[in-house]
Amino acid sequence: MTWISKSITGLGLVFLAHACYSAHEHSALLSGSAAAISSLTAQTAPVTAALPLDISIETIVAVFTICLGLVLGTPELRPIQWRVWAGKIEREGEYGFMNGDGEVDKDFVGNPFRVLESRPGFVDIRKQRKEFAEWVREGGNGQAPKS
Amino acid sequence: MASSLLHPPLHLPPTVALQLSQQAPALLQSTPSSISPYSVSSIWSAAESAELWTIYENLMVSCLRTGDEPSAHLCLQRLTARFGADNERLMALRGVFQEATAKDDAALKTVLEEYEKIIAADPSNMPVTKRRIALLRTLQKPTEAIGALNQLLESSPTDAEAWAELSDLYLSQGMYSQAAFALEEVLLITPNAWNMHARLGEVLYVAASSNEGGADKNLSESMRRFCRSVELCDDYLRGYYGLKLTTKRLLKDLATNSRQSKSETGLPAPDRKTVERLNELATAKLSEIVRRNLNGEKGWTGYEKADIIAAQELLNRDATPIIR
Repeated sequence: MTWISKSITGLGLVFLAHACYSAHEHSALLSGSAAAISSLTAQTAPVTAALPLDISIETIVAVFTICLGLVLGTPELRPIQWRVWAGKIEREGEYGFMNGDGEVDKDFVGNPFRVLESRPGFVDIRKQRKEFAEWVREGGNGQAPKS
Repeated sequence: MASSLLHPPLHLPPTVALQLSQQAPALLQSTPSSISPYSVSSIWSAAESAELWTIYENLMVSCLRTGDEPSAHLCLQRLTARFGADNERLMALRGVFQEATAKDDAALKTVLEEYEKIIAADPSNMPVTKRRIALLRTLQKPTEAIGALNQLLESSPTDAEAWAELSDLYLSQGMYSQAAFALEEVLLITPNAWNMHARLGEVLYVAASSNEGGADKNLSESMRRFCRSVELCDDYLRGYYGLKLTTKRLLKDLATNSRQSKSETGLPAPDRKTVERLNELATAKLSEIVRRNLNGEKGWTGYEKADIIAAQELLNRDATPIIR
C-alpha cells in the first residue's frame, strides 16, 4: 500500500514543480517582452499579467494529488472506543501494536490495569523465587504455572 | 525486546523471566557503569534516558526471581549511585533484594525490623510501608498484614494497588464479603478496569460457591460484574468464561427452586430468559475465540495458551450431555 501512496505523492510533486516552473517562465517571458515594448513606445503602463488557465489548473490538480497521496499513506488509525481498544489488547497482545519493523511500539503498555493484579509494590519475591525454582525442577519448558 | 523490560515483569511466565534475566549480563555490560553529567558524548546525545532506570529496576526483579543475584546487585548498585541510598523507592528495592537473599526466617525478621525502623523515622514512606506489609504476608502473618494495610489505606484511600492487595489478603483468609468490598473500592478508583470487574465477578462466584448466606444474590451480582467486564472489553476471554460459568449455575438454580428469592436490598434477580440468552452469547463467543485462536488467525493470537485450553475444556464439558 505504501508504494501506491508514495508514487502518487511523487507524481503530485512533479506536477507542482512543473507548474511553478511554467509560472516562472511565463512571468519572465512576459516581463521581458513588456520591457521591450515599453522601451519602444516609452509608455509606463504597469504590467498586469494573468497566469494562463492551464498553469492554474495544473497547480490545483498537483496540490490535490499530493493531498491524496499523503492521506493514503497514513498509518492505520488507532481505536478510540474503549471496548474496541481493550479488545484489541486482549485479542492481539503486543503483536497488534507492532510497527513495520516488527518492533513493538514504544508507548505500548498492554493492559494498564494489570498492575492491579501483579501489584509490583507488594511483590512477594520469595514466593516468586520458589515458583521459578519449581518450574526449573520440573524440566523448565512445560506449561507455565498460573501465578 | 527491551520494550518488555519497561513494564513490571511479575506477571510474566517463567520462560520470559528466564529470557529477560539471561540478557542481563550483556545489557549491563553494554550500558556504562556510571553516568557522569559532564562527558564529551553528552554534547550530541542525552546522557541518560528515563527508560534506563525503569529497565534497571525491572531487570533487578527478574534477576532476583531467577536467582541471578550478582546481576541484581549490580542493578541495585547503579540505581543507588544515581539516586542515592535514601531514596524511598530505592529503600524498598533494597528491601526486596535483602528479602530475596535472606537465608532463613531469622534473617527475614531482621529485614522486618529494619523496615520498622525506617517507618518509625518517616511514617510517610509509602514504598517501605508496602514492603513491610508484603513481608508480613511472606512470614505467614496475614492478620497483622491486614491490620497494617487498613492503617495504610486510612491515610491514603485512593491507592488502588493497596485496595487490590487487601482484597487478595481477605480472599486468602476466606473473608469473601470483605474481599468483594475492597474490590469495589478499587473499581471506584479505576471504573474502567475490565480485569478488575472480572476479578470481582470471580470473587463473588467463589463466595456463592462457598455456601454462605446470600448465594443467590452473590451469583447474580457476579453475573452482572462479568457482563460489565465484557462490555468494557470486546472478546474478553476471562469475562466470557466467567459469564458462562455463572449463567450455567444460575440456570440450574432457577430450575431447581422456581421460587424467586426476593432480596430485600439491591437489584432483583435476573429473569430466566435473560440468563439463557447471556449463556448462549457466552458459549458462542467462547467457541469463536477458541476456534479462531487455534486456527492461528491474524489478530487472535494474543490470548494465553492456558486460558484457551481452560475455555476449551469448559465448552467440551458443556457439550457432552447434548451428544449423549
